[in-house]
Amino acid sequence: MKKTKEDVGKEDRKPLQSEKQQQPFKKFFLSKKNIKEKSIKTVLFLTAISAIIVIFSIIIFLFKDGYPIFQTAGLWEFLSGTRWNPTGEPPLYGAFPLIVGTLLVTLGAMIVAIPLSIGSAIFISEIATPKMKTVIKPAIELLAGIPSVVYGFFGLIVLTTWLRISFSQPSGESWFAGSLLLGIMAIPTITSVAEDAISSVPREFKEGSFALGATRWQTISKVIVPSALSGITAGIILGIGRAIGETMAVMMVCGNPTYGLIPTSITNVFAPIKTLTATLGIEMGEVAAGSNHYHALFGVALLLLIITLAVNIIATVILNRLKEKQRSPSKKKTRLSVSIKQQIRKTLVFTIIMLCVLFLLISMGILLTACIGLVVGAVYYLRKKVSAKTGQRIAFIAIAIAILTVIVILGVILTYIISNGAGALSWEFLSQGPSNLGRSGGIYPAIIGTLYLVLGAIAIALPLGVGAAIYLIEYTRGGRLTKIIRAGADLLNGTPSIVFGLFGFAFFVLYLRMGFSLLAGQITIAFMILPTIIRTTEEALKSVPQSLREGSLALGATKWQTIKKVVLPPAAPGILTGAILGIGRAAGETAPIMFTAVVFSSFIPQSFVEPVNALPFHLYILATSIPNSARNQAGTALVLLLLVIGIYLVAVLIRNHYQKTMKW
Amino acid sequence: MINIIQKKLNKNIGSLIIGVSIIALLFTTLFSGCVQQQEGLSIVLIGRDSASGTREFFWEHVMGKENFTASLQEKNSNGGIYQTVTQTPGAIGYVGLGYVDNGVKALTINNITANPANVLSGTYPIARNLYVFTKGNATGAAKEFITFIQSTEGQAIVQEEGFVPIPTTETYNSTGKSLSGILSIGGSTTVFPILEKAKETFMILYQGLQITVSSTGSGAGITAVGAGTVDIGMSSRDLKSSESNLGLVKYTIASDAIVLIVNPENTYVDNLSLTQVKAIYIGEITNWNEFS
Repeated sequence: MKKTKEDVGKEDRKPLQSEKQQQPFKKFFLSKKNIKEKSIKTVLFLTAISAIIVIFSIIIFLFKDGYPIFQTAGLWEFLSGTRWNPTGEPPLYGAFPLIVGTLLVTLGAMIVAIPLSIGSAIFISEIATPKMKTVIKPAIELLAGIPSVVYGFFGLIVLTTWLRISFSQPSGESWFAGSLLLGIMAIPTITSVAEDAISSVPREFKEGSFALGATRWQTISKVIVPSALSGITAGIILGIGRAIGETMAVMMVCGNPTYGLIPTSITNVFAPIKTLTATLGIEMGEVAAGSNHYHALFGVALLLLIITLAVNIIATVILNRLKEKQRSPSKKKTRLSVSIKQQIRKTLVFTIIMLCVLFLLISMGILLTACIGLVVGAVYYLRKKVSAKTGQRIAFIAIAIAILTVIVILGVILTYIISNGAGALSWEFLSQGPSNLGRSGGIYPAIIGTLYLVLGAIAIALPLGVGAAIYLIEYTRGGRLTKIIRAGADLLNGTPSIVFGLFGFAFFVLYLRMGFSLLAGQITIAFMILPTIIRTTEEALKSVPQSLREGSLALGATKWQTIKKVVLPPAAPGILTGAILGIGRAAGETAPIMFTAVVFSSFIPQSFVEPVNALPFHLYILATSIPNSARNQAGTALVLLLLVIGIYLVAVLIRNHYQKTMKW
Repeated sequence: MINIIQKKLNKNIGSLIIGVSIIALLFTTLFSGCVQQQEGLSIVLIGRDSASGTREFFWEHVMGKENFTASLQEKNSNGGIYQTVTQTPGAIGYVGLGYVDNGVKALTINNITANPANVLSGTYPIARNLYVFTKGNATGAAKEFITFIQSTEGQAIVQEEGFVPIPTTETYNSTGKSLSGILSIGGSTTVFPILEKAKETFMILYQGLQITVSSTGSGAGITAVGAGTVDIGMSSRDLKSSESNLGLVKYTIASDAIVLIVNPENTYVDNLSLTQVKAIYIGEITNWNEFS
């Protein structure tokens, strides 16, 4: 399918060029047209490379500000030092405990998220009736729509207290709390990618399996899930990327031990932990610009960026390979014989098992390892004994538990925020400024500030993103440049939001001397939502049938006329959906604006160079810094949640409306 | 042997992943449940982040520049410390005098209560000054505003906000003066409440003047005033050597005591000596029952 489209795309460029050569007498007319066409193409090209420029300038600026620390402290010392104490005497810049902290929190998050997400994905795509699907799928998407600062607020107030009391710990702010919260946040990412992968398994596989007499569970576990494994893996890796880059929630619930802290044992899940992102979020606000500490923080940001980029590249490679495989399933690349492949696999699996055992032995001691081994063995033995039907029942119960857990989690979070926040909601709360440091009064300046930020960001990102997508789809399908641009957009998509914040701080606030300003915040957010807009616009353009373009070109319209009058109008709802999704993401983010635009204040900016207040930041400051403001905290959380979910809802409605009405 | 494992693994790889994940989840919950409980009440140490001016002061004057114990939990504001201490029975933290109220128990140090009188007389051992900075000598609206804060009217606001006023007898006189335009202020979270309140009174005196106060942290405030993006920078610490070349002029606007606070449920202590505070923050004392 795709190939034919590409071929047509290539062909329809050629006639235009040959036309120009064959008809010299029309040269004047044509060249005037050509100038317009060419300049439009140039402009679109410029927008297309904006994503690459942004990602490169981020890397360059982080490197520029981070490099001095590698000189003063030494790269190896920075990576392997076990103490983070940048203001001590002597100052120590060991980021190793921060790296370990990030990895441990992510590991814990995956232990929470993977079973729940895969269970949910299987349930949605294979077990649920269509009616259930229409309820559960949006519910899980809703989890993705909750802003991370709202998760952090819930974690700080409810989760940590619950952990402290029910496990009788001195403090609930811990590795465990962070992992639980991050796990919940990663569920929608993993579920949606895994569900896509499972749904795209060819029907024939399933039918074949049923025809051979397999039960539903046997089909799912032995045919469908293994075929979708690479997609599921990619989902998990994307989830890992999200968990590593998350700032606000982690910062609010992990305890953040000074110097960074590596838990003495892997079972010590109630140890406080400090991640790379939390270090940035906490220390960036008060650090003296230009000091070694400042450079050290940019070193940490660079490290974070490299880790997340690596994770995302792996996911992209896996997903791309999957796409290729689906396109040409019969193609065999490897010339290795089956037996050698098996041999390699065997050793690989064996080493992994051995590594696991070793890891358990080191971290938990012999007794616990034996226990775990015993349980695993028992389960393994027992599952051979049960009949296929009982096996199916057990498996389905497990899946039901997984999906129920997810729904209950969502329910608990929503219920808490709605029941606590509803009391604070009133017309005064929405229309007045805060007083007494936000303890009383309303959140009007924060609402207006959020709107300003979001509208400015979309005004910058929309032309750039749409232009880039038009260039990618209409002008260069395939080709090396397209690949590079797309890779740039993918990398930008995987960049943690706090890294955008640091970049904005270094580039706009300090280098361009914008100060903490509305404009700096708008551009920073625009960069962050750019990939979302590029991708959704691309999807929208792709869905316009090629025949429409051909028809228009055949009638003598130029390329740009075709795009403007034929391609863009039907793609508009899709583009709009993308823009709204971008707005939703922008409205809920805290980290990118924390060091570029927002201040905890009660004024509404009169110009682009003044700072603003924003809802997520207002909530963050209330929850972490203003004692006795519980009522307004909950109220702000509810307003923010309603705003973001409302925006997403509009996007979903538009999408659904046009999916139904649009027929080619 | 490997062959058999391999074969079975291949067959059930999907369910195996799910199974193992579920078991791992169960185990994490199980094991965290059987962590041993301790006698008494474990001390949960709360402090400010390493970039904070308050922490730097505490570290120099209480810790004698010795390292904190590694389990010290960082909060990036006074309010954050207060909040955690109110929620956690075993917690101890340090905040500015303005943040102390009935929600927490303020400890006396060497039997001296943290209050303005004791700070002014110099008997309370951990007190410091709060500053604002301008680029070069303050002029125009910035100069007037700083003069206002340093006057008796301004210092009344300082006292009202729970901080310690600096001794002054000069009253502020606004007759015959007129100011207009925008005055922007940014910086320390500790100083923020003083200037935010002072701004409200000051803007009544000068109707044409618009003042914006934002709390971003001491370091960011100093950076901003140095770069000229705000007119006045607030700070709870003096300039660092890396900031000395910015050409900033310092004005002292108030004093502040650093108060050790514990949860009201904590019945073990009411008073600590500085040595005990240090022992707690170094990690030599880890349980409150060592005081009973």
